[in-house]
Amino acid sequence: MSGGTQSVRVKVLFFGRLKEIVGQAEDSVELPDGSPIEALFTQYGAKHPELARFRASLVASRNQEFAAWSTPLHSGDEVAFLPPVSGG
Amino acid sequence: MTNDSPIDLLLLVRDPIDQTALVGHVREPEDGAVVTFDGCVRNHSRGRRTLYLDYEAYEAMALAKIREIAEQMHEKYPIHRVAIAHRLGRLEIGETSVFIAVSSEHRPAAFEACRFAIDTLKRTVPIWKKEYFEDGAVWADGEMPPAPLETRAAKPAS
Repeated sequence: MSGGTQSVRVKVLFFGRLKEIVGQAEDSVELPDGSPIEALFTQYGAKHPELARFRASLVASRNQEFAAWSTPLHSGDEVAFLPPVSGG
Repeated sequence: MTNDSPIDLLLLVRDPIDQTALVGHVREPEDGAVVTFDGCVRNHSRGRRTLYLDYEAYEAMALAKIREIAEQMHEKYPIHRVAIAHRLGRLEIGETSVFIAVSSEHRPAAFEACRFAIDTLKRTVPIWKKEYFEDGAVWADGEMPPAPLETRAAKPAS
């Protein structure tokens, strides 16, 4: 159970152009338990305005599965913001 | 990074892909067909001469998504074995970036499953390529993976 104000730590990963904008591949942040992925992205967008401009073309993932931006985050979660994929 | 199920061989590699090994993995005495797809680095992109490509991946998730593709191939088509390898890092013109091999008793299933595999891989697997030209480099235009539907309110914590 979460108390809503309890703080948890999550791992955040950046790939491709996002990694270049943020200047790091990986980060670890504290945020209130249950915060949606969107809130985490907004924090990074405030620090990196160029990142925020890509929001419409990004898909989020939580624990290596595509996730809705409204997905709540909990302790130990691994989050990534994924640019359009171009493998193959 | 590898994920071997007993019948499928699924790989992310940094060295050249061993196509012979992948074909050998899927080819069994009961098969009447092996279909392969060889995705290779093209020397141009939208009218510009490409020098080389650099691929990166969210490796754990990419391998999980490739595993899902293999599972879907077995569900959708009467095939025997699947081998999929995607290469990462710097690739020169003409080198193979992705190789897929599928075996089946009769050829239609292997053809269709192979096509499904490459089309799905290009839409859903978190891999990105940067294209290097004489006058600069760009991240290739990609495809947005299908995202889960947004719910209006987040689900309560459990």
